[in-house]
Amino acid sequence: MTGVREMLAVCRYEFWMQIRKRSLWITIALLAGSLAAGRFGMGPRYAPAPPGAPAQEVMTRWAFLFSVILPIAFGMALADRLLRDRRLHTAELLASLPPGPAGRLTGTFLGSVTATGAPALAAMLVAAGYETVRRGDPAMIPWGLAAFAAVLAPALVFVAGYALVCPLVLTTPLFRVLFVGYWFWGNLLLPATLPTPTGSLLSPIGSYAASWLLGTPVLHAGIPGPLPVLRPVPTGSAAAASISLLVVAGLLPLLTAGLLRSRRRTA
Amino acid sequence: MHSSDVEMWRHEAGRLGWAAGCGPALALVVAAAVAALTAGDGAGRPQVSLVLITGLEALLPLAVAMAATSVVATDRARELHLSLPTRYATVLGRRLGVLAGATSAAAVAFTGVLWAAGLWSGPPVVASPLLWAPAMAWLGGLAVFIALLTRSLLLATTAAGGVWLAQQLFASGFAAHDWARPLYLFPVSRLGAYPGWMTDRLVLTATIAPFAAGVLILLRRPERMLTEEEA
Amino acid sequence: MDIAITGLRRSFGRVTALRGVDLTVQGGMFGLLGGNGAGKTTLMRIMAGVIAPGKGQVRIGGYDMTTRSGRRNVQRRLGYVPQELGLYPDLSPREFLDYVALLKGLDDTTARRRQVGELLDMVGLADVAGRRMKGFSGGMRRRVGIAQALLGDPALLIVDEPTAGLDPQERIRFRTLLAGLAGQRTVLLSTHIVEDVAQTCHDTAVLAAGQVIYTGSVTDLTRTAEGATWQMSSAGAPPTDGVVVSAVTREAGTQYRVISPARPSRDATSVPPTLEDGYVALMQRHTVSH
Repeated sequence: MTGVREMLAVCRYEFWMQIRKRSLWITIALLAGSLAAGRFGMGPRYAPAPPGAPAQEVMTRWAFLFSVILPIAFGMALADRLLRDRRLHTAELLASLPPGPAGRLTGTFLGSVTATGAPALAAMLVAAGYETVRRGDPAMIPWGLAAFAAVLAPALVFVAGYALVCPLVLTTPLFRVLFVGYWFWGNLLLPATLPTPTGSLLSPIGSYAASWLLGTPVLHAGIPGPLPVLRPVPTGSAAAASISLLVVAGLLPLLTAGLLRSRRRTA
Repeated sequence: MHSSDVEMWRHEAGRLGWAAGCGPALALVVAAAVAALTAGDGAGRPQVSLVLITGLEALLPLAVAMAATSVVATDRARELHLSLPTRYATVLGRRLGVLAGATSAAAVAFTGVLWAAGLWSGPPVVASPLLWAPAMAWLGGLAVFIALLTRSLLLATTAAGGVWLAQQLFASGFAAHDWARPLYLFPVSRLGAYPGWMTDRLVLTATIAPFAAGVLILLRRPERMLTEEEA
Repeated sequence: MDIAITGLRRSFGRVTALRGVDLTVQGGMFGLLGGNGAGKTTLMRIMAGVIAPGKGQVRIGGYDMTTRSGRRNVQRRLGYVPQELGLYPDLSPREFLDYVALLKGLDDTTARRRQVGELLDMVGLADVAGRRMKGFSGGMRRRVGIAQALLGDPALLIVDEPTAGLDPQERIRFRTLLAGLAGQRTVLLSTHIVEDVAQTCHDTAVLAAGQVIYTGSVTDLTRTAEGATWQMSSAGAPPTDGVVVSAVTREAGTQYRVISPARPSRDATSVPPTLEDGYVALMQRHTVSH
């Protein structure tokens, strides 16, 4: 249990360090605000006028509106987290402490990812509050939480895994470029233009979860393209599969990094 | 040019580092790899050419913006620099100049290779810098300005990435309005090189002026950079 | 190069680092003492032109440090060793010094390289001149710091906490080096290690909570504790009167060195004070009066 307690201690302080970053809140607020103010296809403005649309539909539209660009901020916020220890000369001190690399990495992941997602969750709750007043439907808030959990949270986990680990190998500037390019190519570029995972279960923008919640395909979910086995019809089980795959895919780089670090320590 | 000038530029190229300096060139390599995959998938020459042009027009400016923020945001010896008679704005200007020069060389070489291989579908080769240079300067200028203003790498890189992505997504919105079209960063790969796009590129270049002015004003108080968010 | 500061105030947001500093330095080796958070580094940074002064007058060598041109003129004649000395680990000492020399405007390649070589000799780094600084010890890094500061033969040397973290041998080497440099120039040594000032400086100032609470000779500062420095032994608890400067545990009990205006115990004997004792006595009086 000592290991778990130590890991939770790392998690707690990683959370506090990340959540105190003013620029994280400002960045998410500016992005979310710009998205909310613009007229964007399939966003909440396209839900039927009040009091018409059900809370499920309205909040799902908010979630996938945010999921188009907010994950860029997630990736940028986490990109240099692990390199920071080297830069601030805390790596040596941390390596001398009892929690092993795996525990520290897990705690860092959980704490920093939770904190990085907090402003996005707050943005969803603000949107839910706005819609509650506008449409007079208190179900907006629980559906806002559900939509965040189904659409935005898996994207965050997926992005976080690669954002924390890839800069260790690629260098941070190159990771940032490839990440933004990947986000467009892998989520928004149609397979007709280029082979791309857009619209597949591995598309981290949350197209399957959003499609299931809305009851109609959105964000290119299930469109024909490479690897047809990953492009089922968007149903509840497909959405669950997508969420699971994204979470597992996001944890893979961390598992790899943790194993390598543990081996280096005992070598 | 004096030998000391050459040595100074060599030093600043060293401070730029491989990661930032080669980032843009590596972005072009990625574009070439994607084009090769596309060709392998059975795509025709026009499609492959479009991918390569996209690398120059879209990926290169993004790479420059990210590299430029890292130039401005991180320097181990910043306090020492601020105590030296050479203005820190000059030091940063040199490093960004090296970045611009290295990127331009890579872009010109890439263009030459494409043209020689018969894969060039952009403007006349002589005018080819209009394809990548204005967007590179604009997005890089935006990123540097925000990095200096906010002293936050997160805000600067997200702004650059967000603007890039938004412009990719909302091409039709830009195309629909005469006033917005000159501000569009990807007129060839996304808007089919509409008539007058080269003139619009010159207009885009002119809009860099506010960023440049902002950067120069902010660098009059370089001590602000002693307290970057992550320090 | 003389320094004249009057009424200098500097704040950072809600934190006031300097609250009306008055300081005059004529030349030679001058020590600036003070605890952590006293404002020493802020003062050093203002004098080095790293940050602009707030309110007040700061003149160095006759140049007005509140103007940009004044700061540039001083920086051309200045050598600065910051407290947090960031070095580029991928460079060798020779490369780093060459780079800084170019930034200081030393354009003549031959003269620059000669100076770099001489300085590396002076600080004892000639043997590792071509080795990357990545694996350098703290002492070696500090020596690189001093060497770069001496490029261009500056008239003013500002050294902020140069011996913090150094082993005794390195610390002595540093002191000797700095003392030797003071002959033809002004050397301002900022430190919280009193011994450094005691061994090298004739005059000193003490900074506390953003103000100068003492300016004068090292000898006079030492005398502040005359008649107030005591040695005593105790088998039990430490003395509660005064400030305990040292405690050495022996078989018979613990021997204390105490700074107190009155004899702290019957068996306490008055002893000649050191500079550290004088510093403690001064801080004690300053705390009591505030």
